[in-house]
Order: sequence, then structure tokens, then C-alpha cells
Amino acid sequence: MLEPMIELDIALDRGSFKLQAALTLEQSTAGTVAGLFGPSGSGKSTLLGILAGTIKPDRGRIVVNGRCLLDTARGVDIPIHQRRVGLVFQDSKLFPHLTVKGNLQYGFKLLAEADQRFGFDQIVNLLELEPLLQHRPSQLSGGEKQRVALGRALLASPGLLLLDEPLASLDERLKQQILPFLRRVKEQLGVPMIYVSHNINEILDLTQQLAVIDHGTILAHGDFHDMLTSDKLLSLANSLGPDNALSVELTGKSEELGYCIASNGDNVLFLPYTEAPVGARFSVVIPASNIALSRKKISGISIQNQIPGTVSAIRIVNHRALVTVDAGSMLIAEITAKALHDLKIKIHDPVYCLIKTQAIRYFGKGD
Amino acid sequence: MELLQFTPAELAALLLSIKVALWCMVATCIPGIFIGWLLARKSFFGKSLLESIVHLPLVLPPVVPGYLLLILLGNQGILGKWLHQSLGITVAFTWVGAVIASAVMAMPLMVRAVRLAVIQVDSGLEAAARTLGASSLRVFFSVTLPLSAPGIITGLILAFSRSLGEFGATITFVGNIEGETRTLPLAIYTYTQTPGGDVQALRLVILSVALALAALFASELMERRALRLLGNKAGRD
Repeated sequence: MLEPMIELDIALDRGSFKLQAALTLEQSTAGTVAGLFGPSGSGKSTLLGILAGTIKPDRGRIVVNGRCLLDTARGVDIPIHQRRVGLVFQDSKLFPHLTVKGNLQYGFKLLAEADQRFGFDQIVNLLELEPLLQHRPSQLSGGEKQRVALGRALLASPGLLLLDEPLASLDERLKQQILPFLRRVKEQLGVPMIYVSHNINEILDLTQQLAVIDHGTILAHGDFHDMLTSDKLLSLANSLGPDNALSVELTGKSEELGYCIASNGDNVLFLPYTEAPVGARFSVVIPASNIALSRKKISGISIQNQIPGTVSAIRIVNHRALVTVDAGSMLIAEITAKALHDLKIKIHDPVYCLIKTQAIRYFGKGD
Repeated sequence: MELLQFTPAELAALLLSIKVALWCMVATCIPGIFIGWLLARKSFFGKSLLESIVHLPLVLPPVVPGYLLLILLGNQGILGKWLHQSLGITVAFTWVGAVIASAVMAMPLMVRAVRLAVIQVDSGLEAAARTLGASSLRVFFSVTLPLSAPGIITGLILAFSRSLGEFGATITFVGNIEGETRTLPLAIYTYTQTPGGDVQALRLVILSVALALAALFASELMERRALRLLGNKAGRD
């Protein structure tokens, strides 16, 4: 049994804004990234500020990796600079008077050698920062700035890394350039991370483990697909999409016929044509409303993707039925309540998910 | 060219002015930065009182601070008597007193410049530095101070210039003693009060103008340099 990554129970009252959050995030074997999702103004950034120590809650207790950072009842309040909680800001906050190298070394140099978890060159190579080292922050593009900010935070050897909407100020093309680096950090460094976003697809690209916050309260936390069946999230059903995000690997393509083939686990997907090379890994988004369900495989139809699966959950929201299908990956299909009734779909039924090739979007490319 | 043949007394006034102005910069530097930072970043009880006291010399006739200094630091003054008797230090009617007088008069200018500069430093950068493991003190020296450098330089040059022009507080507190406290403005005043001193007064006036222009030029140069070091975007990114 691993000790929890984060145990949190805090309360903050600022008159018009109240935050009341209790949360335990487990260190899962699948990865050490947890998402924190909520609409703008829901209290996400305040919660991060409290974890990092820049905001003082009225009362509460925070334990990160077994180390108590705050316990108002016992008068414990570790100062910000001793918390070892890294923070990557939306607008990077690079020091304008230092070079990229100076920025990267800022926290790194403050550590005793024994406390340096990563080598300077290791992070520089991982994030491909070598060509930028002598540049000033004002000479960098938005995406480069965020890579430097990420490297700077990692080099300070944080026990927990908080990412506060790190992609929000980037355009879609740049987002797609940064996400692979975040995935690399997740897969190779094993630093526990909390990724905050108001964009559910960004979070799902990195992790299925997330907490949902709104109006200063944690509504639910756990696995995304388990959560979708929970009634607590009804108020967020619209902002939650519900979209499906799938990690895929490109296995073949034909420019002439305008399609690509990609694999997702055992499933094969036909995607719209892309310039990406065979072997590339990325995420695709399939809006739930673009998935149709069928009892059996259909021939003589233009729809290219027919993915078999088993119904694992059914939920009715605003006269729409959200059917969760276990097809290797979890897929959510949105159909009308009438269709659900006519097809007599029940939990554990085998079904086929029908998806038009053109309904599949590459993640990060427009909405 | 006779106009540029300075007498020893005139040269002494010039050098004394420069000496007092440089020491005035030194004297206002650390307290000015500290108070400016305090007013920009902290909220505490008595903040507006401190602000008012620091700014008083800006709105009072300079004779008033000069007289208050005399009461406080004169040889018969509250602090001055003690300094004189127990430590043998006299500041009234010495050039050190002239430095104190100009420092008091220059302090509001220095504090205002620093406060404005510190306010313009993004406090998010300071928060970022703290999450990277820097203590408050280190954040101040490695982030706040370098990023407000252009404003601090402006403040120091203002202090230098204010000291060059200081008249009322100086003459009240330390008098008008040739070679000890007679700075350029005091010398000009003295010559205008002396029959036949017009030419000498004019020469010193030209000298004052040249000195002031040099100070402004130097400040412009240093500020531009500081801004270049900050990536042409004074503390904003």
C-alpha cells in the first residue's frame, strides 16, 4: 500500500468566495499525474496557491508524500521556499533579467548536491532546451517559455509539481508541441504532478485520474470514466464535453485516399489524413454525440470505424443517454433516450460503436 | 577665457558640492531602497504615517527641516549633545551635516522612485522564485532588486541632483563656512551678496548648469544600460 500522494483538507473564506476542499489523491501505479478540472473561477488556482503556500487558508491540513506542510490545528506552516512544491504558471513567469540557463539554474543551484534529483543536462536534453540556453526570455516563443518554465521547476527537485493551466495561453499548434514534453516528464521522471485545466481534453491526454472542482468545492475525484456515471457531475455535464480522448499510434496512411490508420490497444481506427509520420503517438478527440451505437456489425455503410465493446454504464442527462462502452478504452456515446429504448440497450450488452472518420479530431487542432 | 580661471575658493565650493552630493547618494541608498520597498510591498500599522513623514521635506520650506535638524543634532540639540559629549562627534557646521541635510531633503525623491520601480516588478516573479526554494531575502536580492534597478538608479541620480541644489536646509543646519559647508549654491548666494562678485557668481552658475547636465546625462546612460540588461522590457515579460 503506497502512502497517498496528497491528503488535503482545507477551508478558506474570502467573503464572496468560499473554498472547502477535502481530497486524497493516491499514488497510482498507472502514473503519478492527477488532473484538477473545473470551470474558470471554480477555485482551481486558489487550491494550487494553498498547496504551494502562496495563499494561506483559514484552517486546514496538507500532507504531501507523507510530509506535513500545513496543519493549522498544530501551528505547522512550512514556508513556501521549504515546501519543495513546484509551480508552473500559465504565463511562465521567467526571470527577464536572466538567460534561459540562469532561469534553469535558479532553483537548481540552491540545492545541496545530494538533494538534486535530476542532472542539469538530463533536464536540458529531455526538454530539448540546449539551443535556447543563452537566450533571454524576451526572445522566446510562448511554447519555448513554457518548456523553460517546466525545466526550471523540475530542476528545483520538487516533491510535487503543480501545473496551473500551462497551455492556456498557447495557441492550438503550440499546445500540440508541448504535450509530448509533458508526457515525457510523466513517463521518465516520475515526479508527482497535479495538472490543472479548464479543458478536459488536455487533462485526459495525460491522465484519467482527476478531481473535479466547482464553486470552491471538490465535486468528485477518481477515474474519469467512473466519475462520468456519478450524479454529482450533472451540473458540469456540458463543460465536461462529454468528449472521448484516445491515445493512438499512427500505423499507416494513404494521402491519395485521404485517411490514416491508427491503433489504440487492439482496436484499429480510421482517421482523417494527417502529415504526421507513421509511428507518431498523439491523442484524438471523438465527441460523444458523434458516436452511434449498433447491435451488430453493419456492411454497406460509409462509416469506416465499427468498434466492438460492452456497455458498462448508462446515464440519462437532460433527455440524452450517455452510454459508456468498454472497447478496450472507455468510449462514451451520446444517443437519444428514444434510441436507447428502441435498441433496448442494457448494461453488459455487446454493441458496436460507429464513428465517421471525419468526426474524429486530432487533439489540439481547433474545436 | 578669464571666465574659466577658477579661484581656489570657487574650486573648493565645486569639489565640496560633488563630495556632499556623492555622500548624499550613499546615505539615501539603503534606507531609500528599504523604505521604498516597504511602502510598495508591505502593509503594516502606521504605513501612511511613515509615508507622510518621508514626504514632509518635499512640501515643507527647506528651512524647516534644516531648523529641525539643528534642534535634533546641533551641539546643544537632543541627540547632538549626547553625540558630542559621549562620542566626541559634531555634525552641525561640518560637511557631514551638509550631507545629512541633503539626504533628508533627497529622501522623498529616492523613496518615490524606488517605490514606483518595485511596484512595477511582477510579484508573480517573486512568488515563482520562492517556489523554486529561495528565501525572502534571496528573492529580494536576486529578483526584486535587479528588476527595479532602473528606478533605483533614477532615484540615486535625483538624490545627487537634489543635493547639488540644496540651499535652505544646509544654510540653516550647517551655516555657510568656506571650505567646510559652502557648497555651490551657497557660494553663488555669497557672491551675489558681495559688491563686485557678479562675475564670480555667473561663473559658478555656469558650473552648476554643467554639473547638473552631466548628472542627467549619466543617469540616462545608466538607465538605458539597465533596461538593456533586463531585455528591453523593464521587469515586464
